[in-house]
Amino acid sequence: MPEAVVTLETQKELQRVPLVTNARSLNWITDKVATIAESGTPAWWWMLFIPTSILAIVGILCIAYQISNGVGVWGENKTVGWAWDITNFVFWIGIGHAGTLISAILFLTRQKWRTSINRAAEAMTLFAVICAAIFPGIHVGRVWMAWYLAPVPNSYGIWPNFRSPLLWDVFAVSTYFTVSVLFWYTGLVPDLATMRDRAKSRVKKFLYGIFALGWRGSNRQWRHYEMAYLLLAGLSTPLVLSVHSVVSFDFATSILPGWHTTIFPPYFVAGAIFGGFGMVLTIMLPARLLYPQIDDMMTRQHVDKMTKIILLTGSLVGYAYLMELFVAYYGANPYERFTFFHQRASLGFNEGGFYNWAYYCMMTCNVIAPQVFWIKKARSNYIVVFIICMFVNVGMWFERFVIIATSLAQDFLPSSWRHYHPSWVEIWTFCGTFGIFLSLFLLFMRFLPMICAFEVKAVTPAADPHLHHPGSEEPTGPAVGVLGDHAAKEGHH
Amino acid sequence: MKRIFQHPTESLTGKKYWRSLGQLADTPEFRGWLEREFPQGAAEMEGGEVTRRNFLKLMGASTALAGLGLAACRRPEMHLVPFTKGVEWSIPGKPLFYTTARPTRRGYSPLVATTHDGRPTKIEGNPLHAVPKGSTDLFAQSSILDLYDPDRAKKITNAGKVTDEAAFEKALEGMLKDAGDGSGLAFLLEDDNSPTRQRLMGLIEKKYPKAMWAVYEPLGEETSDVAYGKDMEVLPQFEKADVILSLDCDFLGSEAEVGTTRAFSARRKVTGPDSKMNRLYVVENRYTITGGISDHRLRVPASQVGAFALALAAQVAEKMNDAALGAAVKAIDAGEVKGRGSVPRLDPDWIKYCVEDLVVSKGASLVLVGERQPAAVQALVAAINAALGNVGKTLLGRKNTDMPTVRIAELARSMTDKKVKTLFIVGGNPVYNAPADLDWANLQKSVPTVVRLGFSEDETSELATWNVPLAHYLEFWGDGRASDGSYVSVQPMILPLFGAWSELDLLAKIAGLEKPTGPELVQETFKQIAKPGDFYTAWAKFLHDGFLANSAVKPGALTFDSAASLTFVKERFSTPATGDDVYEVVFTPCSKMDDGRFNNNGWLQEIPDPITKLTWDNAAQISPATARKLGIKIENKDGEHYEMIEIQLEKGSVTLPAYIAPGHAEGSISIPLGYGRRVVGRVGAGTGFDVYPLRTTSSPYYVVGAKVRLTGDVYKLGLTQEHFALEGRGGDLTREGTVSEYKSKPDFAKTMGMDGHIPPNVSLYSHPTLNNPELSSHPSTTATGQRVNPGWDATGWGMTVDLNSCTGCSACMVACQAENNIPIVGKHQVMNGREMHWIRTDRYFASVDENDPDPEMISQPLMCQHCENAPCETVCPVNATVHNEEGLNVMVYNRCIGTRYCANNCPFKVRRFNFFDYNQRDVMAGKADKNGHFGVFSGVYEWNLISEKGTADTIKMQKNPNVTVRMRGVMEKCTLCVQRIQEAKIAAKVAARDSAEYRIPADSFTTACAQVCPTEAIVFGDIYNPESAVSKLRAAERGYRLLEYLNINTRVTYLARIRNPNPKMPGAEKIGAAMRSHHGEDKHEAEPKEPQA
Repeated sequence: MPEAVVTLETQKELQRVPLVTNARSLNWITDKVATIAESGTPAWWWMLFIPTSILAIVGILCIAYQISNGVGVWGENKTVGWAWDITNFVFWIGIGHAGTLISAILFLTRQKWRTSINRAAEAMTLFAVICAAIFPGIHVGRVWMAWYLAPVPNSYGIWPNFRSPLLWDVFAVSTYFTVSVLFWYTGLVPDLATMRDRAKSRVKKFLYGIFALGWRGSNRQWRHYEMAYLLLAGLSTPLVLSVHSVVSFDFATSILPGWHTTIFPPYFVAGAIFGGFGMVLTIMLPARLLYPQIDDMMTRQHVDKMTKIILLTGSLVGYAYLMELFVAYYGANPYERFTFFHQRASLGFNEGGFYNWAYYCMMTCNVIAPQVFWIKKARSNYIVVFIICMFVNVGMWFERFVIIATSLAQDFLPSSWRHYHPSWVEIWTFCGTFGIFLSLFLLFMRFLPMICAFEVKAVTPAADPHLHHPGSEEPTGPAVGVLGDHAAKEGHH
Repeated sequence: MKRIFQHPTESLTGKKYWRSLGQLADTPEFRGWLEREFPQGAAEMEGGEVTRRNFLKLMGASTALAGLGLAACRRPEMHLVPFTKGVEWSIPGKPLFYTTARPTRRGYSPLVATTHDGRPTKIEGNPLHAVPKGSTDLFAQSSILDLYDPDRAKKITNAGKVTDEAAFEKALEGMLKDAGDGSGLAFLLEDDNSPTRQRLMGLIEKKYPKAMWAVYEPLGEETSDVAYGKDMEVLPQFEKADVILSLDCDFLGSEAEVGTTRAFSARRKVTGPDSKMNRLYVVENRYTITGGISDHRLRVPASQVGAFALALAAQVAEKMNDAALGAAVKAIDAGEVKGRGSVPRLDPDWIKYCVEDLVVSKGASLVLVGERQPAAVQALVAAINAALGNVGKTLLGRKNTDMPTVRIAELARSMTDKKVKTLFIVGGNPVYNAPADLDWANLQKSVPTVVRLGFSEDETSELATWNVPLAHYLEFWGDGRASDGSYVSVQPMILPLFGAWSELDLLAKIAGLEKPTGPELVQETFKQIAKPGDFYTAWAKFLHDGFLANSAVKPGALTFDSAASLTFVKERFSTPATGDDVYEVVFTPCSKMDDGRFNNNGWLQEIPDPITKLTWDNAAQISPATARKLGIKIENKDGEHYEMIEIQLEKGSVTLPAYIAPGHAEGSISIPLGYGRRVVGRVGAGTGFDVYPLRTTSSPYYVVGAKVRLTGDVYKLGLTQEHFALEGRGGDLTREGTVSEYKSKPDFAKTMGMDGHIPPNVSLYSHPTLNNPELSSHPSTTATGQRVNPGWDATGWGMTVDLNSCTGCSACMVACQAENNIPIVGKHQVMNGREMHWIRTDRYFASVDENDPDPEMISQPLMCQHCENAPCETVCPVNATVHNEEGLNVMVYNRCIGTRYCANNCPFKVRRFNFFDYNQRDVMAGKADKNGHFGVFSGVYEWNLISEKGTADTIKMQKNPNVTVRMRGVMEKCTLCVQRIQEAKIAAKVAARDSAEYRIPADSFTTACAQVCPTEAIVFGDIYNPESAVSKLRAAERGYRLLEYLNINTRVTYLARIRNPNPKMPGAEKIGAAMRSHHGEDKHEAEPKEPQA
């Protein structure tokens, strides 16, 4: 834990920027995190929650209409059997990657900066997976028979087809969701106990108390907690990589030109992390604006690190895009070449290149836009970061759309080529999932500690038993002496 | 026959069982013991009094249960009752087959109808009859749906008011009482050669000699009596013709009859490099089925076909030294020959080499002319045939002995003169389709009494005094003559559904006979024709076989009247002048609606046109170059919006969408007839555009001098195939070679496209079923020499499709639809790309240069390929699509949840998804309006919870009970008619009795698509049975499988098309070039393929 061991001997320029700026005290952290959920509902919250929940209801009505009438209310046809439904599914699942990655992988690799963002990111993961799970659930023709996907022993002796990637999907996504919920909830327990202890009303005390599972903060409990958290992190880590790999198998194991690609698993995982971090920033930057008190915990440093990850994964994805083109060229399979150089990367906007605007949109948003993050100034400008993150969100949606639609619309036999147009139901269902996602996130912000207070406390200098250099008078006091003005500047922008 | 089951009677002397001797005795001791053993209920058992309390308790409880309990929630009671009196031959669950025949204007087509429990459900060709040999066409297949059309005329009406049969019969008597010699009576009938009808007409004529008999067929032929004399039917002998030149004659399409198609395709069959194929030249203005299969095709506007014939005649006369013909041609104004204005020049080389070819095979050549080309052109072509020595050899004749009738124009004249007092219109729809110059609607209104026998309520019935529903041919006794002249029977399969009358019923009534209740009228005719010794045996055989043996009329000699014909040609021949901005409008028969009579048939509406792939509409077909000239956008990005054009003629104008048709002649606009019906059922309502108002008596086929302008509007058309080009995939998907290529390299098809490049299949894994030595060494497999045995059974089903024989007529599509209960989805869903046909006919226009105005056309039927290594099967998460032991890729509807993953992974896109509950929802409700706008919440889009469900009862009656009617949300696809396979298997097992060894005899049954095909392009059978046709065809050197490189091992083999071009002809080098161009000029030898284990 080198960043915690900051000694006077370290050169100033080599010293790390503290994770909590302005040398906040432990009490200050608890107070700031808890008051978000404890204070009265701000007006802006309602201003956001009412439209998002209306949007969610619109989405749910669209789903009800679609289930009632049939998949025909969407725009799919005999050639393009999947379109927005699976695009949205992969899009949301991708977004659901950042949270667990931050919580699990960064935990195992001892990246302490994760502490202030992991809870919100994990919550975001859960809500994104909920949104994702809607689509494979409702896109089937007979929703009421979807339980056939479950390996239920039945009198006919028919099992699901274990060769089908769609079934692997079911297992992968449900496992991922379950583990993510457990991981998130386990991490919440100590903070829920804090909330319980601070709660004034009996109802709150009771509810937080129930969910705090009798946490008392004893040494024994901490020992168990740490072990459980470590195990869950270990369990989640392969899942982060496996879920999107499995999702990519839906395409990679098929025979369609443009889907049948061995590069898909790593490329999808990189894309998912890329898109996930984009969405974390999209959510966290406004949250920071709305709760200026958390500035000292969610600092410029966090944004900077996340943009670097976006830059890295964006470039990985860009490499994958180019490699796909190269392989299509080098493979000399006319069907593959057609998909890549006529459907996707063609310059002519003719009939064949019906979707190439979407391909170029994807390229611009995912590969070119994040390159801005090479510039430090751009990384530290929240407006620029936010705009690029929006590009990432759009681009990642288009990536899935391009993969699905361009491959399906024009595959082997020109006689069955057909374009796809979304119907209003599909469009509003997708908008509805944003409503669901944002509504859930707003509820989360409102009722639960959105920052993992106890973990943040653990990374403050005050929590470090070795910090107390001789001469320090306040054991829990600010570490201003160490980092001086620089840190103060970091905290106030 | 009623069966009496003899149950064994109970033995009187057998054992009886008792628990103790006391019970047997029923002694007081025993009763006492019983009381001790069951003390609780003993009192009741003893028959003790029911207490008041207990009584009230019981009654109260039962009332409560009856009122509140489950009794009220019961499903309505339904009974499945067996016949109280057995029907002859009927075994519940088994279909019965009866022969019958369907009237068409080209004679009766002999059929076999399948009936289930008294409901006809499917039509097949009569396999015993020499003409169809079991095959049928599009119209016969779809006619079953007409029978059950819920929009049929159902009631007898008088002046619009519903009345009954008795009232009509009484009124009819009144009409006839005052008829006198019949001078006020007139009949307007459809073309029909029923001998019984002839007999009744004769009887009526005797009674009312002055009655007027008219026959009107909007698409009837332009006959000229000059050439071969009066009432001679000309019968081209396709099997004898080596070289055929068709001048605008769609003898395989709209002018086809199953017999013609069979005869022609018999000379196109290729069994080996030595097969002698005929050669077909086609001159036409638009791509037709005939043009599509031709070896050489010349695009010429329909009005210039005469000019072509003249140029041809000149050369034939010269080559054959026919002075009379030469003189006649010279006598015609030179301008006619050369054409006027900017008529596209007729390619002189084309004519020259074509004539050379015709002359070389003189006496074995055949020049055909479209039946609706002007009479002068017909006479001229007759002269050409005579000069070539074809008359009497490839052209024979038959005398038509039917009673002479007049044309509709003559009838109209007497109606104008007020001579007609009572007009009987049977069938037809003259108000809709009579020539516009007759002003038929007003004429009909001027007749005091119009009696109409109509199949549905239409434009004509609206203006008739009396309307009587007309019976469907499956509802009445009748007879007729097939195209070979044989006498065929028409048997009813069902009583008239809506109390309909047949034509014979009406004629019998008018003739003063009783309305027949059975076959008595026909039996009378039969006695005269068959002159049987033993009537009942002969009659039973007639009904059983469907025709009278040896009744076919042998075609006889034909004599060409040269002098009269050439004079006629000289007098009448003219070629209309065209100019740059003058367009010709050609009224073509619709390949589906015919003249509009099938407008309310949903199957036909939704079957894509074989050439345009258009459903639910007609459109003005224009060549790309002409369209460019008119400023019509050719690139149609979303494939839906078509620009509207207004076509102005002297007679009026019509506005309809323009459709860019590759291979169409410049300056010519083809518009199919039969759409835009004003009074029609719910299926036909709002479909297409009526162009009959532009058609006149003098120019029923084409009109020259149209002005065309863009209106600026767009219209949405529903196409099932948006993309026409092969995108350089010709060599892969559709393979074609010329006769010479085939001779030099018989297996040329095996290495075309990517098949020449497939690397050896080196795999780490062996396919568990494909490569299992134990399974592949199955004795049945090794005996046939088959490569692998993918299954575990001695039978394996497969199919071959011969691209050389397939014309693209699409009869297979309707046959499949009828057999497999495939729903129609309506125009809006077709526009959304959701049609349900299990088999489709892909039609490609192939050319090396994509702007070539003369692309070649190829049709390729495509059904589920039943891959042995099926991509759809591995991806289905719920095991709803699996492989069976006989190599079928089967679909389990019950198990399917509708993920559509299988359809995505199907490289052929043959899987069809039920996007809506098409069998429960009214797909006809909420049609798109003329502008393609569609109500957001109408039709299938109406919220399911409030919309009405269910389908018309009559439609349900059509369904094949052996095929599941699918619900929404499930995937479906071609099953290779698995229900027929099972039926055959059951029959074979029954025959095998106790033996475990059973084998379905080779080719003992086939699929619906293979059965219907008049050219036998589709062949189905057991690929492991060395005697089956399919196993032999699969081994043919022309065979190839689609997308072999995917290692999917399809069970359907395609046989490459072979064309027989004349190497001297211009454009001969282009034949098949698009299929070869895939790899340019470099010749690949097949790389060694690793033999699959």
